[in-house]
Amino acid sequence: MHRPSRRRLLLAVMAAYCSSGGLASANATQNRSAKAEPGHLLHFPRDHGSHPAFRIEWWYITGWLQDQDARELGFQITFFRARPQLPAGNPSAFNPEQIIIAHAAIADPAQSRLIHSQKAARAVFGLAGASENDTKVWLDNWQLNRRGSGYESRIETPELALNLQMNTTQPLLLQGANGYSRKGPGADAASHYYSVPHLQVSGALRTSGVFREVSGKAWLDHEWSSAYLPETAAGWDWIGINLDDGGALMVFQMRQVNTQQPLWAAAKLREASGNIRVYTADAIRFTALRLWQSPRTGTRYPVAFRVNIGSLEIELQALMDDQENDTRQTTGAVYWEGAVRAFSKGKRIGSGYLELTGYGRPLEL
Amino acid sequence: MNAAVWHALVSGPLRAAPGRSLLAVVAIAIGVALGLAVHLINASAAGEFGRAARQLAGEADLVVQGGRTGFDEQLYPTIAKMAGVVAASPVLEMEAALHGRRDTLKIIGIDALRAYALQPQLAGADNGARNALFDTDAIRLSTSAARALDAAVGSTVTFKVGMKPLPLRVVEIIPDASYRQHLGLMDIAGMQWRFERTGLISRIDLRLASGIDAETFRRQLQTQLPPGVHAVTPQTDSERGLAITRAYRLNLDMLALIALFTGTFMVFSSQVLALLRRRTQIALLRALGVTRGTVLGWLVAEGALLGLIGGLIGLGGGYLLAVQAMALAGADLGADYFRNLNAELIVEPLTLLAFLGLGMAFAIIGATVPAWDAARRQPASELHAHDDDDTLHRPKWIAAGLATMLTGALLSLLPPLGGLPLAGYGAIALLLIGAVLLMPALTGILLSPAKLTSVPALELGLAQLKATPRHVAISVAAILVSFSLVVAMLIMVLSFRQSLDSWLDQVLPADLYLRAAVAGETAVLSPAEQQHIAATAGVASVAFTRFQSLLIHADQPALTLIARDLPGEDVSRTLPLISPPATLLPDSPPALWISEIAAALMDWKTGQTVTLPVGGTARTFTVAGIWRDYSRQNGAAIVSRDLYRSWTRDHSANDAAIRLSPDTTAAAAEQALRAALPANAAIEIVSASTIRKISLGIFDRTFAITWALELAALIVGLFGVSVAFSVQALARRREFGVLRHLGMTRGQISAMLAGEGALTASVGALSGLAVGTVIGIVLIHVINRQSFHWSMELHMPWLQLLVLFTITAACASATAVVSARSVMRSDTVAAVREDW
Amino acid sequence: MLSLSHLHKTYPGPAPRSILQDINLELSPGDYIAIVGDSGCGKSTLLNLIAGLDLPDSGSVKLHNREITGLDDNTRTRMRRRDIGFVFQAFLLLPYLTVLDNAALTLKLNGVTHREAQSKAYAELSAVGLTEAIHRFPGTLSGGESQRVAVARALAHEPKLVLADEPTGNLDADSADVVLRLLRERVKAQRSIGILVTHSSAAAATADRIYRLHHGALHAA
Repeated sequence: MHRPSRRRLLLAVMAAYCSSGGLASANATQNRSAKAEPGHLLHFPRDHGSHPAFRIEWWYITGWLQDQDARELGFQITFFRARPQLPAGNPSAFNPEQIIIAHAAIADPAQSRLIHSQKAARAVFGLAGASENDTKVWLDNWQLNRRGSGYESRIETPELALNLQMNTTQPLLLQGANGYSRKGPGADAASHYYSVPHLQVSGALRTSGVFREVSGKAWLDHEWSSAYLPETAAGWDWIGINLDDGGALMVFQMRQVNTQQPLWAAAKLREASGNIRVYTADAIRFTALRLWQSPRTGTRYPVAFRVNIGSLEIELQALMDDQENDTRQTTGAVYWEGAVRAFSKGKRIGSGYLELTGYGRPLEL
Repeated sequence: MNAAVWHALVSGPLRAAPGRSLLAVVAIAIGVALGLAVHLINASAAGEFGRAARQLAGEADLVVQGGRTGFDEQLYPTIAKMAGVVAASPVLEMEAALHGRRDTLKIIGIDALRAYALQPQLAGADNGARNALFDTDAIRLSTSAARALDAAVGSTVTFKVGMKPLPLRVVEIIPDASYRQHLGLMDIAGMQWRFERTGLISRIDLRLASGIDAETFRRQLQTQLPPGVHAVTPQTDSERGLAITRAYRLNLDMLALIALFTGTFMVFSSQVLALLRRRTQIALLRALGVTRGTVLGWLVAEGALLGLIGGLIGLGGGYLLAVQAMALAGADLGADYFRNLNAELIVEPLTLLAFLGLGMAFAIIGATVPAWDAARRQPASELHAHDDDDTLHRPKWIAAGLATMLTGALLSLLPPLGGLPLAGYGAIALLLIGAVLLMPALTGILLSPAKLTSVPALELGLAQLKATPRHVAISVAAILVSFSLVVAMLIMVLSFRQSLDSWLDQVLPADLYLRAAVAGETAVLSPAEQQHIAATAGVASVAFTRFQSLLIHADQPALTLIARDLPGEDVSRTLPLISPPATLLPDSPPALWISEIAAALMDWKTGQTVTLPVGGTARTFTVAGIWRDYSRQNGAAIVSRDLYRSWTRDHSANDAAIRLSPDTTAAAAEQALRAALPANAAIEIVSASTIRKISLGIFDRTFAITWALELAALIVGLFGVSVAFSVQALARRREFGVLRHLGMTRGQISAMLAGEGALTASVGALSGLAVGTVIGIVLIHVINRQSFHWSMELHMPWLQLLVLFTITAACASATAVVSARSVMRSDTVAAVREDW
Repeated sequence: MLSLSHLHKTYPGPAPRSILQDINLELSPGDYIAIVGDSGCGKSTLLNLIAGLDLPDSGSVKLHNREITGLDDNTRTRMRRRDIGFVFQAFLLLPYLTVLDNAALTLKLNGVTHREAQSKAYAELSAVGLTEAIHRFPGTLSGGESQRVAVARALAHEPKLVLADEPTGNLDADSADVVLRLLRERVKAQRSIGILVTHSSAAAATADRIYRLHHGALHAA
């Protein structure tokens, strides 16, 4: 059994959906997937929307919230779009040309473990879909829309509810080179990728049947690709931090299969002044400070990290240890995705999300 | 004291003559075993059916469904978006024809991502299956389906769509724990495409938001559904499926109960005779101060003991029987109701207890009547009397017997209760009981004119029978009960078979029948193929048929709509009409010819205007006539295919009835037809005579279990005779001794006994013939009509009855001789001097 | 003519018991004798040997010069049917036959037609004074009446030999007298040989001669 991360899982699911053995012949299948190209420039608002020619795409919002009693909570809302590889010519209205998958999670230290919910559906009959014009993606009554000066999202399930307005306070942050983000040493694995940090959040949420007014800060990633993970990668560590001074930091590293040694890494820091600093793999080092073992899966996750980026040294501490996301029920994946505080020289400098994937048994495609 | 009474009254005699009790025990055991076996199989099948229906419905609160043809998929988003609907899972379901095989596989097409919310087991258990989630050429099989098709992961199962083969790759075997039925699972999009059902779904499973009342929602939803589509609860769904089989299962239960009834009769007769023999002992005990209640109590306890032993043996036997029968004939005992089921025998302790209790209760009833009689006698007169005193006593049960039979006859006129012919079964029971009550008097009446003065042995036998009507009546009644039931079944089944035979003649007027596939809904003939068939050399004329299924009421099984070419001929002459057809006025709605089952289920009459949902639209028809149909148990209606095509634009056909030109042979025509159709079409071409043979074969198979139960009843009846005779033989030892003294040879005594046996059997069988004919008529006109809604003509199978009569009389004679042989072997000479 | 010579009978078993030793007896038609003895002295065994119901270990039984010990069961049965009449202590009438039919039974077994059998039986019944009762069933008769029917049955087919085994054992003294008188009368009238087995000396006294069976041996008393 494999336990890929959510992103990784998506890839696995995509690969699974797409590599169905019965349709070996390439010309029997739909058009080939589009490829992320280095020179390609992003155009907005078009590129806020969906890119159905690419095999995978996600809108990924993570953030910190405070309720009326100033209790801190983490939240995460994700909409994935995936394009399975299918034989051409199926006239069925149920033909799953696009799949929409959505996850939502709330990290509440009072609950000591994640409250989460998930859904998946084929984009048919208008019951689920993603607009190509602007950010507008929905799955039944779950939705994420870009409207006016920000985003709004509604999630409604028996376990949890989120109804959030997220206003833009800063310009888009194009990751990589003008939004072209390489994921490994080779040029085959890459995506188009931009972030929207410092989203000002207000709204309400419900956990355990209790509604709470909340406000806080969030980070949105929008990324699309047809070849995301280098073949030799086991998983990755990713962080996105809204710095208290207005800066925004994104760092990720890909780890190798078996050795778990760094394979590739990249970071981008936009300082409060708007000055952008780019770091490459040789300037980035992740050091695990503390491991937490999941009582459910037995997997050990480094829930406290020291990250050295050039001269910058940041320590990350989890809002709570148990932010393991168990989605085996639907997708077979277990990973750690959690709210973290960032410290520098003992002083809190920001807050954001850490994603740890591939720490379970070795991944397999 | 009690131990002494027990010994004197029960255990002593039991030990002295264990054979008699053994037969009573065996009879009870057979009754309990048959009853339990039939019940276990029925309960397992019904339980499995319900379980399967529940599993398929998963956690759905409501199911929206149409006939087997399905309905427009656009209903799915409409319903999914309704307020109150939390989850909606679309399903496409069909019986797919297997290429090159005679059977079908039920395939369920799902949207796994949607189905997950309602049926988690469907989502796929392993990665291999998940990898093929949207694979249009993949199928997942239940374990039992894989076993039946001899398929494994990676192998290919080929279906038949239209005239073409469709190979699908097996990507997963679903564990037994999830689905025990025979079924395959596909992606709904792949299934719509590969099975050419684009745009159609057959079901939407719904889960409602908590707090919403399912029934209120269902009623409100129903008003928005197109004709022929119904919103039902999963319970209704599974009950509707079971309802079809309810009457059939009740019939089997009743047959099994009859065996137990015969067993009771055995206990009764053996106890009557045993107590006659023990009368002196009983009288002695009474004289010694044992109370009447104590005697009664112990004798009833003896019956209970026999019942307990027989019951325990019966439980074991019944279980083994059920296992064997399930393995041989399947959970429906050959009736083809639960074809997709793969039931396991479910044994609940309570069921076992109930059957043990039933066996004991019946044994106690059988023992109580004679025990009461024995306990009530005056000890003083009994001590000096002997066996023979009682024999001239004339029973006075004539009035009671006539009244019981009359009540039975009246009961048979009552309508069904809850769809079941309960009054009819009550009528049969009363007819039997009444006949048994009449037996002593009737035996005397039947025997009185008989004179056999020329052969002393037979004269003696006859005299003995005439003089002991009560003894004889017991044997006669044992034969009457079993024989009349066999006669009734024989009359019913053979009438049915005869009616089926002549019905087949009427409904198979053509020379050849071409079917797109033996079974299943997926194989059809396209318009082009239909033209090829019509143009084939040797084909004089051809009529095509298209089958559809229509769900008319939510709680009734779907009706078969038969769209048939009716080229201007007089329909009333080609259909086996059971009543004169209606005359349609020029402006009345088009003609609809309904089967009598449809007429009964829908309560439609000739000439009535009715509405059917054809192709998703409500259409109005005039019921032009009612025809007999033995093949579609849920009802059928025939409509002109021209009309059907103009309404639905469905130009395909399932069957073709072909008349050949006189200069062609069937073989040549078949060859030409196969050449005219795609090479690998795997169509079936059969002659009318083959269809007839197959149909009658199915009929005979269906009734095989019935015969087995009847045979058991007859054997138990003969047991009863043998007990009666052996006890009598024992009681008549001294008489045999006298006869030997007087110069009768052993052969003459055997002949006397054989004569007595034959006479007893003849009287029993003759009365059984009369009662059985009446019961047979009740079976035909009440039980069958109320259970299955079909009619048939009474047909008396004289030859079979004569053979059965002869066999029964011969068996009874042989039984009488064999029963007496052991007595004859002992020293009958000394018996004349036995002190008593 | 009945002739018994050197009859021996021993019952086998773990301890073989000699029942009869060297029995010799010659009787002519019209002889009417009584055999007396204690219970278990072998009276019944002797009767069974005479009637061909049992076979001796050695010795011979001749009835009218026909040796019956060498015959098969069916032949002995036919001989019994034709030549022997029985009267039992317990009457042993067939309960399901009328008095007339009981008396006619042996005749019918001998192949006499129904009509003739009935008329002969009627004659015999009238000889024992029971014409009133011919259509009654045995269950309705008194003991004396029953035994008179039995006498009629034993003599209706005019047997050469009549064997009466304790015929008065179940009867009161008056009835016993009547039965003994009728029995003697009918045997004498038909010139049969009559053997009366009894332990009643009063009954034995009605015979021409009395024999005592003692320790397996027969002595003239």
